[in-house]
Amino acid sequence: MQVARTAGIAPARLLIPGRGWALAGLYPLVALLLAVFVAYPLVDLLGRAVHSDGRLSLTPLANLLADPYSRRVLWNTLSLGLTVAVVGTLLAALYAYAMTRVAMSWKGPWHFLALLPTISPPILMALSLILLYGRRGLITNGVFGLQTTALYGYWGLVAAQVLSYFPFAYLLLLNLFRGLDASLEEAAGTMGAHAGKVLTTVSLPLLAPGLAGSALLLFGYSLADLGNPLLLGGDYTVLSAQIYLAIIGMYDIPQGAALAVILLAPAVLLFFGHKHLAKATSFASVGGKGSIRHPQNRNPAVRAGALLLCGGVSMVIILQYATVLAGATTELFGINYAFTAKHFVLALTTSRGALLDTIGLGIVASAVAAVMGLLVAYFVARSRMPARGTVDFVANLPLAIPGTVIGLAFALAFNHRPLVLTGTALIIVAAFTVRALPYAIRSAVAALDQLHRSLDEASTNMGATAGQTLWRVLLPLVRPAVVGGMIFTFTRSVTTLSAVIFVVSPHWSLVTPAILSQMDRGDVGEAAALSVLLVVLVLMVIHGVPRLMGRDWRVGING
Amino acid sequence: MNNPTAKALEIRGLTKAYPLPGGRTVAAVRDFSLRIEPGEFVTLLGPSGCGKTTVLRTLAGLEEPDAGEILLEGRSIATLPPHRRRIGLVFQNYALFPHMTVFENVAYSFRIRRTPEAAVRQEVAAALKAVGLDEMGGRLPGQLSGGQQQRVALARAFVMKPDLLLFDEPLSSLDAKLRVQVRGELRRLQKRLGTTALYVTHDQVEAMSLSDRIAVMRDGQVAQIGTPEEVYSRPASLFVADFVGRVNALHGRVVSHSNGYATVDVLNHRIDVPMSHVVGTELLILARPEAVQLRKAAGDGPVGVVEELEYCGDEIAYRVRVGTVLVVAVESALRRTWNIAQGDCVGLHLMQKALHVLPADVQAPMSEREIPSDDSTSMEAA
Repeated sequence: MQVARTAGIAPARLLIPGRGWALAGLYPLVALLLAVFVAYPLVDLLGRAVHSDGRLSLTPLANLLADPYSRRVLWNTLSLGLTVAVVGTLLAALYAYAMTRVAMSWKGPWHFLALLPTISPPILMALSLILLYGRRGLITNGVFGLQTTALYGYWGLVAAQVLSYFPFAYLLLLNLFRGLDASLEEAAGTMGAHAGKVLTTVSLPLLAPGLAGSALLLFGYSLADLGNPLLLGGDYTVLSAQIYLAIIGMYDIPQGAALAVILLAPAVLLFFGHKHLAKATSFASVGGKGSIRHPQNRNPAVRAGALLLCGGVSMVIILQYATVLAGATTELFGINYAFTAKHFVLALTTSRGALLDTIGLGIVASAVAAVMGLLVAYFVARSRMPARGTVDFVANLPLAIPGTVIGLAFALAFNHRPLVLTGTALIIVAAFTVRALPYAIRSAVAALDQLHRSLDEASTNMGATAGQTLWRVLLPLVRPAVVGGMIFTFTRSVTTLSAVIFVVSPHWSLVTPAILSQMDRGDVGEAAALSVLLVVLVLMVIHGVPRLMGRDWRVGING
Repeated sequence: MNNPTAKALEIRGLTKAYPLPGGRTVAAVRDFSLRIEPGEFVTLLGPSGCGKTTVLRTLAGLEEPDAGEILLEGRSIATLPPHRRRIGLVFQNYALFPHMTVFENVAYSFRIRRTPEAAVRQEVAAALKAVGLDEMGGRLPGQLSGGQQQRVALARAFVMKPDLLLFDEPLSSLDAKLRVQVRGELRRLQKRLGTTALYVTHDQVEAMSLSDRIAVMRDGQVAQIGTPEEVYSRPASLFVADFVGRVNALHGRVVSHSNGYATVDVLNHRIDVPMSHVVGTELLILARPEAVQLRKAAGDGPVGVVEELEYCGDEIAYRVRVGTVLVVAVESALRRTWNIAQGDCVGLHLMQKALHVLPADVQAPMSEREIPSDDSTSMEAA
């Protein structure tokens, strides 16, 4: 979502002229950083994909598309994405409906549990699915005595990705269901439409863009996912995993780059499709303030169904996390269930570097993203800088690009002159920041929207200097949204695998790649222990930081 | 108002409470009864939270009453779902469907009932013409101004030819000038079609200009029902008097009576009111500001000092302190004859025909509550 959309609110003179000029001096720097860390790696990657033997050529791409195996991989990727999009949206819509429109108990726990996957590494789902349903899985092998590999492949991936990503769609639809003006449905009722007609003529047409948006979002997440396809894919190879195998397994960089470009195409199409959809169907709000008092469905059958759905999904999620916890605290899950703390000890000793690096670089990245986000939001939405449309576009581009592609582009572009960053912390911070920037911009736009020009003027009018106004009025107002954005950046950074797998190094290692390599080696216990630590860390940040700041800043994230 | 198909509405003993967090409930409407004659336009007038919107929503079937009967032409509709009631509702925020054009919005009730398309076109075109929007059928609601949106909402409600039309503060989001204009259009439409109508507002001017009768509501009950003139000149309580306009509530005591007239001591002066009361009875004399006349030369009436003078364009309001009491008087700005300035000592004359008397135990006299402790400030009388 680009910020230009909100530019209509109080423009330009947000800040007193003196402050505006000081900020304007930073504009070239921001533009340069975006050019170096967003535009350059992508151009470099595209260049590799269309070069052959030092000449411009489409041969690598053409060869790839002609190759039956690659075509199957592409087909696999698309059909997996489609399934996850449809199943996930359906599940999310039902869950959101139950939460908003059905009289149901324990909505708090259902909400919390549904959101838990949004803050855990997606790889965790693969791990617990393997522990439960794998060849030596607790349920498949332990309960039913099966020795099956049925989990590995299409259905295992669908399960893992739906569980990992439906919460994002749920969050989107929840706000949509809540925001739908209740008086529209009431009006339809008073004009003679029964419940079914109200649904088909009013509610669904109004919700359709949101449902489509949710499907596109899930499709995009599925395309970008790397951890689950690597661990659960089996013979069912998708593009992101194929890129990984080409680069890490065969060290075939041209092939990897070409595959990345092929993955990029549907992702970018999705991105623009989503934007177009949002624009075409965003209805200007009509009339005054609507009513959001939605009647709660009290039909016993509906209530029972809703409880079954939310309870069932929540149970599955609890089972996933409980399994990971069990895997982390038993000798060898599936074989020896004796209690042990050794995996945690190992995780805290051998993987201590990875843990500390993850925390440290995550914090740095969230601060950098917050500052960059504020600056870009200000320049794009509130200033008249030249080329701000381009700046906006480039800064938001990472939304469209799967993490694997960004990671690969970084690894390749910063491994040769003019800028060699391989093996440094900077390349990791840059990858984190670039990925989080679109979200940081969104938070910053929300923050800036808090700042009506009259506040600045009122403060000045009462005798405050520009500095006092900044310190006492403007900063306290933007802080909630900025802190919310920082928490989000941190969460996203420490849980991502795809964006960092190609840029980690012996000097700077991270937790998610460590989990992946432990899984590869068969150190399930240690992988589980690290996953648990990561989830606890993120929960502590999300719930602890707002409390430390004395107020619940999470309100700012949504607002 | 001579539509032979117009229906009478009768509400009997309507009660509705809402649950509060913590298990308690708050009564929004208590034992509310009202009868509206066929074709009549009645307004529920009251402050926010008095239950007027709850009554409306219960009639439309959007809320379920805890108790009570709703009869439309003698037939109970309380158990019918909203879409079977044939009751039109104009929402405060208009509730226009943003994804449908103006035409489709107005045609909605026909399409739901699968009316033949030719008839739909004719009816909708006529309805849009009636509200002056015949050119706007193809637009989306978001492309209209607030006043135009309001007209679409009116057309949409009128076009379904409901048995009863409900209005939930439909003019509250329009600016003052537009409000007066749309108000007139709304009243003309309702009169022409003769539909029975119930209107909810907290604006007394709106209520008086629109209604055949006004029901003033307080705390979920009817405080008084009557024609606008009855409610304004003969309010049943200080609350009603205060809500429908500015009023001076003066404390009085009966000192003697004869021939059906009681002589009352007000502002240390005696006036006669056409009422028999026992000597010593405490009374509340209600005098609208326009019933108080001021004279520069003190006559035989009460005497006070003009503390403040407010020029309002069409009239001038004077705040006069008489002892501990503040009295408000107004004079037409055009026929300004009093020639009074701030600080002048003036004589007051209460026009006896325009006074209204209430027993004093109804409520504490307002003007005593209104006396500001600090002389530098003065409050509105209403």
